Amino acid sequence: MGEFMMMTPRERIKAVINFKKPDVLPWIEISYDETIIKWLKEGLPADKVTVIEWGIAREGRLLLNWPHVRGFDPYSHFGCQYMLGCYVPIDIGPIPRFKRSILSENERYVDLRTETGVIARRIKSAEYTWYSMPMFLEFPVKDRKTWEDYKTRLDPEDPRRYPKDWHKDAYIEAFEQYQAANTVLTLTGFYGFGAQLMGIEDFSTLYYKDMELMIDMIQHWEYFTIETIRYAVETLKDRIDMIYWWEDMAEKHGPCISPKIFRELFLPHYKNITGFLNKNKVDRILVDSDGNINPVLDLLSEAGITGLWPLEVNAGVNAIDIRRKYDNKFFLIGNLDKRELVKGGEAMEKEIDSKVPILKGLGGYIPGIDHLIPVEFNYQRFKEYSDYLKRHLIY
Amino acid sequence: MEDLLDEIRKLVVELGDSNKIKKLVKEALARRIPLSRIIGESLRRGLEEVGRKYENGEYFLSELLYAASLMNDALQMLKLHSKDQEMETGEVIVLGTVRGDIHDIGKNVFKMLAQAAGFEVIDLGVDLEPEIFVEKLKETNARILGLSALLTTTRLEMKTVINRLNQAGIRNKVKVLIGGNAVTQEFAEEIGADAAALDAAEGVEICRRWVSS
Repeated sequence: MGEFMMMTPRERIKAVINFKKPDVLPWIEISYDETIIKWLKEGLPADKVTVIEWGIAREGRLLLNWPHVRGFDPYSHFGCQYMLGCYVPIDIGPIPRFKRSILSENERYVDLRTETGVIARRIKSAEYTWYSMPMFLEFPVKDRKTWEDYKTRLDPEDPRRYPKDWHKDAYIEAFEQYQAANTVLTLTGFYGFGAQLMGIEDFSTLYYKDMELMIDMIQHWEYFTIETIRYAVETLKDRIDMIYWWEDMAEKHGPCISPKIFRELFLPHYKNITGFLNKNKVDRILVDSDGNINPVLDLLSEAGITGLWPLEVNAGVNAIDIRRKYDNKFFLIGNLDKRELVKGGEAMEKEIDSKVPILKGLGGYIPGIDHLIPVEFNYQRFKEYSDYLKRHLIY
Repeated sequence: MEDLLDEIRKLVVELGDSNKIKKLVKEALARRIPLSRIIGESLRRGLEEVGRKYENGEYFLSELLYAASLMNDALQMLKLHSKDQEMETGEVIVLGTVRGDIHDIGKNVFKMLAQAAGFEVIDLGVDLEPEIFVEKLKETNARILGLSALLTTTRLEMKTVINRLNQAGIRNKVKVLIGGNAVTQEFAEEIGADAAALDAAEGVEICRRWVSS
């Protein structure tokens, strides 16, 4: 009788996203750091968290600054995996960064310029609101001139895009040895990038108001993305288990840009990036978009996208329907309705029971909340959710 | 005359060029077509069709926002050229994001669409004390209040505003519409709001129904 070997968390995730059966179904979450800070008041042992610090989000690609918890891994604490386990540390933000500064402040608000050039307002006194979007007062790109200015900060050849300690062989070894979760390269998509620089309203209507500018922005973003990641992708190849492609291109009703615009302007550039990745044996490419993405699923598939997260129930997205309609074109992560899970008890159990066993049977699915772990998710309730979900992970 | 109004309407529906629409609107003014007809039979009717296409899944946010901007551009121009004719003032909506919440994207989209649909929108801003809504409703006698909240933590403030309306004795004079990512029809019923809008276009449609009934 052969020795029974348990799979590592990474092997489990790799198996599922490649439509193979793992020994145990993995479970993936991403938490707001703010949720963990709140958990400290709700029973999470205080000695678990060693440092809370402020900083710009990963690789400078997001507009928001928020508190970061260090010294505590909520994922291993609960027995799940972090979506972005080990990531390629490339900087795809603006270089040089804008100087982060407080522009004005009173008792209630602070107006600040983020390192990506946005001016945003925060409420100072309200608890637990840092994780969500601030009020945007001004975006750095307004027209052709401001875009040309911004473009100078998006130079893929800038040596600062790679870590000072980048050493090809050391990274290859690190990516081969890592087993705690999956290895990831994160990208920002065409809509996400444009909306971050211009705001949702202005970028969504740019096709009609200044198509030339939109084309130029998208073309540059493709060039910038491929050239920035080229060395890492050609070095690490399929040691990168998954591409995490942040888009956030949809609202509750549907995509913020129509499928027509997607097909005409985005699709060719998506294909160029996915083609480059595929040539380097990287073909597990996950798009992160909240909202109702159903109307663009055909296009995403045609674009070479092979995975979806978070599959927001609130917006009418249903993982079982997608699996049945699209067969194995997409691996799926998430889709457990946060609104039901936070209630705990029967509501939470019903939500899990109605989805996880079916999707586990269909394959290519990793359970998780249909977005980040919200601040409203009480620590005890999350433990309850964790305990209940784990019963469904065993085959 | 009919052809010109229809051409403007079609340009709005087909998401045409803003300058072209403004040029045709100027022509309509020159032909002494009443403002009410230019707005009602061409611009607003066009936007209503765009709204239907959005609801049907033929158009998306990009098209909806662009059509609203076409309408608002034309209305701005009409204001400048209508010295001799009074612009019709629509039903008033008092609008704002509740205390503790400074999110305004959804609120701004709703405002743009509501203005384009002919409502006069008094946008009070974000992070508003409940009393501010009450005072403005009393001052303007507005019959519609739009409350916005993105967060599940702040949506409870909507209930506080409704309580204040009750205390001020004006709840039965005002229809309360709630909107934002965290709201549902269930929640609207729970807090005693009159309706929840799942998106900005639906919100405008609800207001239209209230006004016409």
